[in-house]
Amino acid sequence: MSRRVRLMLFAVAAAGLAATLGVGLAGLPSFGAQITDYARMLNEMAPRQRHVTDVVSAITFDYRGIDTLFEEFILLAAVAGISVLLRPLSDEIRQLPRDKAPERSIPPPSPAVWLLAAFLSSLLVLTGLETVTHGTLTPGGGFQGGVILASALYVVYLGTNYVTVERFQPDALLEASDGVGASGYILIGLLGLLAGAHFLSNVVGLGATGSPISGGTIPLLNLVVGAEVAGGFAILASEFLDQTAVIRTRRR
Amino acid sequence: MDLGVSASALVPASIAVPLAGAALMAGFSRLMPRWARDLSAIAIALATTTMTLILMAASAGRPMIYWFSGWRPSAGMAIGIDYAVGPLGAGMASLAGVLASAALVYCWRYFDSARGRHHALVLIFLAGSVDFCLTGDLFNLFVALELVAVTAFALTGYNAGYPAPLQGAINFAVTNSLGGMTVLMGVGFLYARTGSLNLAQIGQALTGRHADGLVVAAFALLTGGFLVKAAIVPFHFWLPDAYGSAPIPVCVLFAGVMSELGLFAVMRLWVTVFSGLAGGSGPRMRAVLLGFGILTAVVGAVMALAQLHLKRMLAFVTMSHLGIYLIGVGLLTPLGLAGASLLVIGDGLAKSALFLGVGVVQHQRASVSETKLRGRGRGLAVTGGTLVLGALVLADLPPFVSSAGHALLVDAADQAGLPWMETVIALSVIAASGAVLRAAARIWLGWGDTEISRTDPGTADDPGEEAEDRADTPVAERAQGSQEPSGQQRRVPLTMMLPPLALLAIGLGLGLTSGIADHAAAAAAAFSDRAAYAMAVLGTHSGSMPPGGRIVVPVSPVASAGGVLTDLGQVLAALCVAGIALDRRALRFRRALAVGTGWLRRLHSGLVGDQVTWLAAGLALLAALGEWALH
Amino acid sequence: MSALAYGVVAWLFVIGIYGVVTSRNLIHLVVCLSVAQSATDILLLEIGYRSGGHAPVFVSLPAHPGPAVDAVMQALALTDVVVGAAVTALLLALAVQVHKRAGTLDPDALRATRD
Repeated sequence: MSRRVRLMLFAVAAAGLAATLGVGLAGLPSFGAQITDYARMLNEMAPRQRHVTDVVSAITFDYRGIDTLFEEFILLAAVAGISVLLRPLSDEIRQLPRDKAPERSIPPPSPAVWLLAAFLSSLLVLTGLETVTHGTLTPGGGFQGGVILASALYVVYLGTNYVTVERFQPDALLEASDGVGASGYILIGLLGLLAGAHFLSNVVGLGATGSPISGGTIPLLNLVVGAEVAGGFAILASEFLDQTAVIRTRRR
Repeated sequence: MDLGVSASALVPASIAVPLAGAALMAGFSRLMPRWARDLSAIAIALATTTMTLILMAASAGRPMIYWFSGWRPSAGMAIGIDYAVGPLGAGMASLAGVLASAALVYCWRYFDSARGRHHALVLIFLAGSVDFCLTGDLFNLFVALELVAVTAFALTGYNAGYPAPLQGAINFAVTNSLGGMTVLMGVGFLYARTGSLNLAQIGQALTGRHADGLVVAAFALLTGGFLVKAAIVPFHFWLPDAYGSAPIPVCVLFAGVMSELGLFAVMRLWVTVFSGLAGGSGPRMRAVLLGFGILTAVVGAVMALAQLHLKRMLAFVTMSHLGIYLIGVGLLTPLGLAGASLLVIGDGLAKSALFLGVGVVQHQRASVSETKLRGRGRGLAVTGGTLVLGALVLADLPPFVSSAGHALLVDAADQAGLPWMETVIALSVIAASGAVLRAAARIWLGWGDTEISRTDPGTADDPGEEAEDRADTPVAERAQGSQEPSGQQRRVPLTMMLPPLALLAIGLGLGLTSGIADHAAAAAAAFSDRAAYAMAVLGTHSGSMPPGGRIVVPVSPVASAGGVLTDLGQVLAALCVAGIALDRRALRFRRALAVGTGWLRRLHSGLVGDQVTWLAAGLALLAALGEWALH
Repeated sequence: MSALAYGVVAWLFVIGIYGVVTSRNLIHLVVCLSVAQSATDILLLEIGYRSGGHAPVFVSLPAHPGPAVDAVMQALALTDVVVGAAVTALLLALAVQVHKRAGTLDPDALRATRD
């Protein structure tokens, strides 16, 4: 198909698609009028049944916890997949760039930048941990907090140069964090089976509503998800950075 | 046999085991030696297969319902997420398990440079497929769709050093992600209307209602999204690009089970959600589904004949079969569904064996081009036999299990008053099988012309033929390509030779199992029993469950003898097709055929923009047809 | 209000697909895909919206009287965001390799799987 023909066909198709969506959207209840009985019930029951104040967390990790298990593995699969796609291929090698003109080398990052990076990243680590651990109380949780934790590593990249980071990067630790986090979710799920209930049943003591340790397995699941997401996103960043920094085509 | 308590723990274990294995393998691959990674991945896949097989047996009488986190429904309202395990779903899951095991055995030492992450991806793919087959929750079905898709995108692009796998993976990822988005919009629409995400509860809420615009839009978005996965015309363009360029062990998973999952979801939705709508939409919906099915079966078969690239040829064969399965399930009768299920198993095993056989050829001869391989099959006799046998099974050679499936499908079409459907199916099957036989004859017997000129019609130039990034194929060796020294041929490792034979043997064994057709019919009847499903999940109706209506499979000796004759006829016809395709005297005929189908080949441009345009057009078409059928 | 709120969904989805269809750069194409995907998230959140409703977080309730919005749709949107991130990352990785191997990012210039 030429681009012209493609555009013409698309114009017709898009009109049909828009009409389909329009008809469907027109059938929705008017915007903001009501929420479903299911949602109303969960809003009412979750704080009482699960001693949480953030109902989204209770749904994500308890009522619909199995969705989140698979969601976590979508992320794990993406990370593993990207490591596969961006691995050094048979005609490539990993090689740290060598400075060919040492007398005209780039000056190292100034102490001020370095200090700022250290400060910012420790702030990010704190914020990340806070977000991971307070998922049952306020918006946030393992996913959000994990991403913040990983971003602390990005700031270190920015503040130093990549070669330094590459030398000290705890690759094995990040991978282990990724894997332990994901398998931890399943182990916590098995607690339910061991207690004679169902997979992912919330069998741990629920604690007092509003206290940091409440909600039974929900904070535990937040922790393992936080570990997995932090490790996964850090691996993602390093895989992409490796492509420009250290992976070279082998010389023939 | 009482499997009560133990079997119910198997339901979550069937996903927890492969997922935990995958997580540990991804996290600690540095600590494991290669053989340990290979062995544990195979063991986990086999264990998962065994669990799903037990579930299939245990759920034969009535669906097994498992509520995760223990949230049972209260007052007919589902709170949590359930698995509704039936024999059909569990059987589909075990097929995924068998193919994953075979693929893992085959790639012993194959994916070394991926350091265990490939094993993790295959196991996650398997767990996603199991989730897909067992779940009773609409949103969880979407999550399963995306989990399978994300692993599949990554696996497709494994040979990232070559353009074809990259392009295949991009086309695959873009089109299927859009399919996922339409599914999610459909989920949102149905939730807004019914206030539930549970399939049974949504179905109950829609029962007896007339379909309005929102329901029709939800139908089109959901069905369209899953038909993208099922590669039904015009949503199919990504399939040859992805299957034709993915690594061989991955093709096995794709061709045997992945797209079939899309059809499974379409049927699950039709049975549990949409078939209860008022207005008797069944006959018109049947016409719609059969139309898509016939189109896909024919287009796939024609395109398969036009390929010289063996993997791409098998990709189109797969697509043609998907059309035939859609014909089977589109009849909307349990018998048609039973026939399609047996065909999925029989053809899936055979196609996987064919892909593995092509992999052996590629490993030994560094090519997958039918013409470049002409006459170079000597020394690969076992593989040649595997390919020929697999091709004959595609033509429903009795007593393999696909033959039983074909018989059921024909019966179902006859019962539905569509006896001509048999001819459509036979023609597609013959063409697809004939294409593979032609390739085998050319490679092992050296038939056909020596040199195929570029202008020779009826045969596509092989796009993106290349070696794979195998651990045991040194770069230097690969660079030489076609001119490998004849004296020092590498031996074919047993781990590559045996899996295809084992898959064919399973197909034969199932075909010889007495009463396999009855089992399939019972499973299909249980799957199609909408009321029993809703009752089992929601438990709203008091009293004991009535036994599901058993369908009687017609087994007159005359009919079955006729069926065997038909199947043998198909096999003969496929051989004739292969002969004609290679005979010099038929060149004119081929040329005429090629001119007639050239426009079709040009539509398969491999450009993602074209593919998405067709996807949008297909959605609009499906919405229009859905409006006609449901309203 | 309804027309505007829901119209955004249809607009974003169709315009996102338009971008994918006409794109001459893979990175741009991936971003267009994200635009289309944001339509699905907005649809979910709008279905769960309640006029005057507060977030489904029940802390210091006296300050936030009235009903809460649908927490289920928010949980679903959260899952969808993760799915979108995973797909985007994978596609970008593929784009990196395409650029290295084919020397172009124009999807219409890729001819490796033409039939």
